[in-house]
Amino acid sequence: MFLNTYWAYGLNIHTDLVCSELPRHPHPINDPDVTIILLPHESGTLRPLPDCCYEVQPRCFRLDVPGVARYRVEEGKRIIIEPLANASPEKVRLFLLGSTMSALLYQRGLLPLHGSAVETQWGGMIFVGAQGSGKSTLAAEFHRCGYRLLSDDVSAVESTPQDLRILPASAQFRLCANAYERLGASPEACFDVDKFAVPMGERYCPDPVPLRAIHILSDQSAELPRFEVVRGLDRVRRLFENLYRPHFLKGQRTQKDLVCMAGVIAQRATLAAVSRRRDRTDTGDLVRFLELNWAERFGSVSARGKN
Amino acid sequence: MRRFGPKDRLSRTNGLPSTELDQETVLMSIDAGAYYGLAGAARSIWEKLENPTSFSELVDCLVWEYRVSRETCASDLQKFLEELEREGLLRVE
Repeated sequence: MFLNTYWAYGLNIHTDLVCSELPRHPHPINDPDVTIILLPHESGTLRPLPDCCYEVQPRCFRLDVPGVARYRVEEGKRIIIEPLANASPEKVRLFLLGSTMSALLYQRGLLPLHGSAVETQWGGMIFVGAQGSGKSTLAAEFHRCGYRLLSDDVSAVESTPQDLRILPASAQFRLCANAYERLGASPEACFDVDKFAVPMGERYCPDPVPLRAIHILSDQSAELPRFEVVRGLDRVRRLFENLYRPHFLKGQRTQKDLVCMAGVIAQRATLAAVSRRRDRTDTGDLVRFLELNWAERFGSVSARGKN
Repeated sequence: MRRFGPKDRLSRTNGLPSTELDQETVLMSIDAGAYYGLAGAARSIWEKLENPTSFSELVDCLVWEYRVSRETCASDLQKFLEELEREGLLRVE
């Protein structure tokens, strides 16, 4: 029997580990999809990897983070963590919820995108991009404007016969100091060197939302922000470029399903490249720019927020 | 450069994941980080290569499908198959 039950990426997760980053399961059930087992520090159960920091095998993924922990992901169902001596629990969770969780999603045939997701009246919108491209900052600004968020940093999409849906996954977002100050909220924790964790609170969306568009954020030198729809084969290429830890995909037995799914996402959702000159474009202005583009492309809606 | 003989049995190499996008088949080599988009006749040939097929059978099908001369068809097919082989996508037996 585990102490905590969480609900993320459509999975019922049972663990003894307290994860303030994950949403609690609203109606805990006994049958978990995933169990996370926390071993005692340096118990010697997980042997170290000889010459590398991670290993992908068809049914098993292993990750060694020096000074933090060893992780093992089995069959998309079980995560085992062995923390190293003096590892901070925050860092153990950081590598659990980022790299380790993305390996679990790959094993389960889900594509983890490196980005945050927001619920809008046009549907679910995902913002992906390279490290530091402003994904979380933009999501936080949407949150400040009254939108509900589904996930931060890692977003996963599920394909059903009817539609594509973004699976809610994270009850807080992590911000760099500037964005955090702008938000004016008190941080729940501060653990990732220079990032603050801010709870989404009531504006967390606990239900899957149909995916409408994926936006690839980048900087540019031109003054005015741009919104360009990506077409053709580039859609698949750019989706794969924006996966979370794409190197974990090599060697996964779900590769065929994942490539097929990328095609379905590229076909059914809009993929857009959004670029702006960072030093001249206020994040609030970028939100309004996106709202205008969505209204133009997906139809005008009078009130902000969910219908 | 290889010349394919009329009786060469041609098929896809195993294991390259693919997906459908609009009117294209997209092949992905995750290990090599390479993408291939096949449309029109290329897509049709790729579909036929799912099962081992001889060069002359392919020519027969394509001549009928695209209403082209046998000579043009064989020459274009030769070039396309060379490309597939160069990318490691074609098995020849």
